[in-house]
Amino acid sequence: MWKTIVKRILVMIPQLFVLSLLIFIMAKFMPGDPFTGLITPETDPARVEELRIKAGFYDPWYVQYVNWIGNAFQGDFGRSYTFNVPVANLIGDRAMHTLWLSLLSVFLLYLIAIPLGVLAGRYHDSFLDKSIVFYSFIVYAIPTFILGLINLFFFGYELGWFPTSGTVDIKYESGTFGYLWSKFYHILLPAITYALLATTAIIQYLRTEIIDSKSMDYVRTARSKGIPINKVYSRHIFRNSLLPIAAFLGFTITGLLAGSIFIETIFGYPGMGKLFIEAINGRDYSVITALVMLFGFLTLLGSLLSDIIMSIVDPRIRID
Amino acid sequence: MNKKLLALMALLLTLMLVLAACNSDDESAKPADEPDKTEEGTGEKDTEEGAEEEAEQPASDDLFPVVLDNEGEAIDGGTLQVALVNDSPFQGIFSYTLYEDAYDAEIMSFSSNSLFATDGDFLLTDKGIASLTVDGDNNKATIKIREGVKWSDGEPLKVEDLIQPYLIIGHPDYAGVRYDSDFQNIVGAVEYHDGKADTISGLKKVDETTLEMTFNKVSPAIYSGGDGLWGYAEPSHIVKDIPVAELLENDAVRKNPVTLGAFKFKKIVPGESVEFERNEHYWKGESKLDGVVVKTVPSSSAAKAIETGEYDMALSFPTSAYENVKDLENITLLGRQELYYSYLGFKLGKYDYDASVANTNEAESKMGDKVLRQAMGYALDVEQVNEVFYFDLRARANSLIPPVFKSFHDSSIEGYNYNAEKAIQLLDEAGYKDTDGDGLRENPKGEKLTIKLAAMSGDETQEQVISYYLQNWNEVGLDVQLATGRLIEFNTFYDKVQADDPEIDIFMGAWGTGTNPSPAGLYSKTAVYNFSRYTSEELEGLLTAIDSKEALDSKFRSDKFREWQEYMQDVSAVIPLQFRYELRPVNDRVKNYDFGYDTDFDVIDIELLADTPVK
Repeated sequence: MWKTIVKRILVMIPQLFVLSLLIFIMAKFMPGDPFTGLITPETDPARVEELRIKAGFYDPWYVQYVNWIGNAFQGDFGRSYTFNVPVANLIGDRAMHTLWLSLLSVFLLYLIAIPLGVLAGRYHDSFLDKSIVFYSFIVYAIPTFILGLINLFFFGYELGWFPTSGTVDIKYESGTFGYLWSKFYHILLPAITYALLATTAIIQYLRTEIIDSKSMDYVRTARSKGIPINKVYSRHIFRNSLLPIAAFLGFTITGLLAGSIFIETIFGYPGMGKLFIEAINGRDYSVITALVMLFGFLTLLGSLLSDIIMSIVDPRIRID
Repeated sequence: MNKKLLALMALLLTLMLVLAACNSDDESAKPADEPDKTEEGTGEKDTEEGAEEEAEQPASDDLFPVVLDNEGEAIDGGTLQVALVNDSPFQGIFSYTLYEDAYDAEIMSFSSNSLFATDGDFLLTDKGIASLTVDGDNNKATIKIREGVKWSDGEPLKVEDLIQPYLIIGHPDYAGVRYDSDFQNIVGAVEYHDGKADTISGLKKVDETTLEMTFNKVSPAIYSGGDGLWGYAEPSHIVKDIPVAELLENDAVRKNPVTLGAFKFKKIVPGESVEFERNEHYWKGESKLDGVVVKTVPSSSAAKAIETGEYDMALSFPTSAYENVKDLENITLLGRQELYYSYLGFKLGKYDYDASVANTNEAESKMGDKVLRQAMGYALDVEQVNEVFYFDLRARANSLIPPVFKSFHDSSIEGYNYNAEKAIQLLDEAGYKDTDGDGLRENPKGEKLTIKLAAMSGDETQEQVISYYLQNWNEVGLDVQLATGRLIEFNTFYDKVQADDPEIDIFMGAWGTGTNPSPAGLYSKTAVYNFSRYTSEELEGLLTAIDSKEALDSKFRSDKFREWQEYMQDVSAVIPLQFRYELRPVNDRVKNYDFGYDTDFDVIDIELLADTPVK
């Protein structure tokens, strides 16, 4: 297995290389550049041209690419044109915000979805099951920004239970307990919103798996051995039914950094999803390429992680 | 079961209603013909300080009050809660010399390092920290600062602090747009930039409070802060020793900048919020408020934030949310006209990038016929668009100078108010007739006339507006089609327009004019931004006159401005379409606030009438 893992990691290198080439060329194909937006009667076109030349935008693309990849190998992804800070710092800050939000979201997601899925499967065709399925279809049909706005308007503004934008209240000193609490408080509502909306897949998978498992031979065997029904569910059925969810776990872990554009926009939360969109709109090449490379790497890593996790939970699966 | 079904239906119906209601809240996306925060990005916003000269406001400003009239017993101190409506985090470059994002400037309006006060025409007055004397004959200007002015850290303001920004902008490591042809107008700026000199020879400290500047040429633009004059100070005692290349990330800019304004920075959460506290060293006296907190609020919830009294006022409030706040009882909705106009431009030539001149070729251009252009202007029902789509927060523009510039705007020009009959009459008389019976006019030679319009993409409103305009033209018998077949994304639009793409005959754009009204940068022969590529000797003459030495005489200048506007109306190479309002909702617990440009108001005067905003 270790051999396979090393092999897979080695294969990632050419994959990432091709990705970098593609994204670099495609980013340059986009019309405009970071300086296009500077058109005002007060900016001097000659100065803008000078800045373009300084930034190397008139070099042949392969020269630009070699410069960029050379620096990237040394950990220097350049500077963001719009934010005027090194890309690594910019992504670092946003990534931390997104990470905390995603962690809480995923935690709440499992907290809500797993019990609901189990209950729906166990008591399937009951009123409870139907309500859960109904709920899961409703949230599946609600666009993220709608529920986000409803939650924000109602719980944030009308009732005043939650903060309405940002990541932390300005009145707390960094490092204090109040500061940490304020950070948590700020991600709570967006995380709940996200968790409520993302439950459908997990509920449905679990429910179906449990219903299928109920009629399996091993369940009947377990029951006939006199194992109490609760134990059969918790020990036998539940573990087996988690398999399809475990298959996605790797992607879920690496996906923690991707962020959600809608949630971040509505809750004014500066995370990775928004950064990506802002970078594309502002033609912030250095940020776009760095982010795509990061997302690409995480996706590859996620698929590897998923395979490893599967081989651990399900001994029948071998990754080599 | 039936009951259940009924309940289900009821639930779905409620949900749908809620969804529909939310939808209307969400139309606050930024319209595309106004990539305002970039296009107008570097416009200076000295709105807080200013001096009254004329009391009259432009008549159209009557739509909204400009001054807040809340009365009552004010509380002691208090903190003003300010929403900065912005869908992205602010950049947080709190230096007038280095910032690029207009939102940073909005935030800095509470801590301004501005040296000069301005009047209603944005001309410098001597009511600010510094006063300006211009010696046109010798191309010199003298800046004198008041004595006793201090930075927020207690250090006195020195002449070196006035010179410091020039040393930053002119430095070879400076990577912003401000090292421009204006800046190079300062004697010695180029030598300093090229590393041939350690300082800029045109800047001379005369005594502890006087700076003498020498320019290559002096024009009236200097009174608008042009010609290379820089209107802000930098704390040289702090930034002098920081390398220019590192300044952008330095704490002196990002974390604890010192200010000359009413408030000083207490705390900054990057991209999200800024807390200001009273600056006890402010030269005009201490603020009545204890402090100000500015916080980023997404545009989708801006109206809600104002409605629920979460904030005392909103900066950059989206006009598309106007409907949601116009009837609120806990606020006063202040409004003023922006330094903005949108226009319809006609391609009449090409820009020669090698020689840096625009070459006009009216005779061979499809849009070369003046009468055709004017007819196209009359055919557009901009008035109806303003009413239906923009709640009248936009007004038909009559000239290419926004009315805010009272001394320069010519209100007597009629512009191209909607008049379809006139358009038809003009086209008929000029020989544009439908000869093949398809309902669309051919050109006087009898050839098919298809006009390609380039327009920027944006929200749904934009799409509807443009198709309405196409329909307007169709009604007078003109066949206007979208270039590329659809609306064009902002970056592509300017790429194509700037490159004189042959696919484009006419285009719709907008300008945020900034505080310097001189039209030379947009309409002169050498200007890249002269997108219609129209030039003529007469036009050049007028533009030169506007910025000439004679125009240091304000009467002469404002006459030339009027002549220029009339000339532009007549040649109609660019037809003005809309002026635009900006809104500032202010909570009823705020006392003393003035949103006008032409005012003595200072943020230190703001007071609060209650401990929390009115809900």
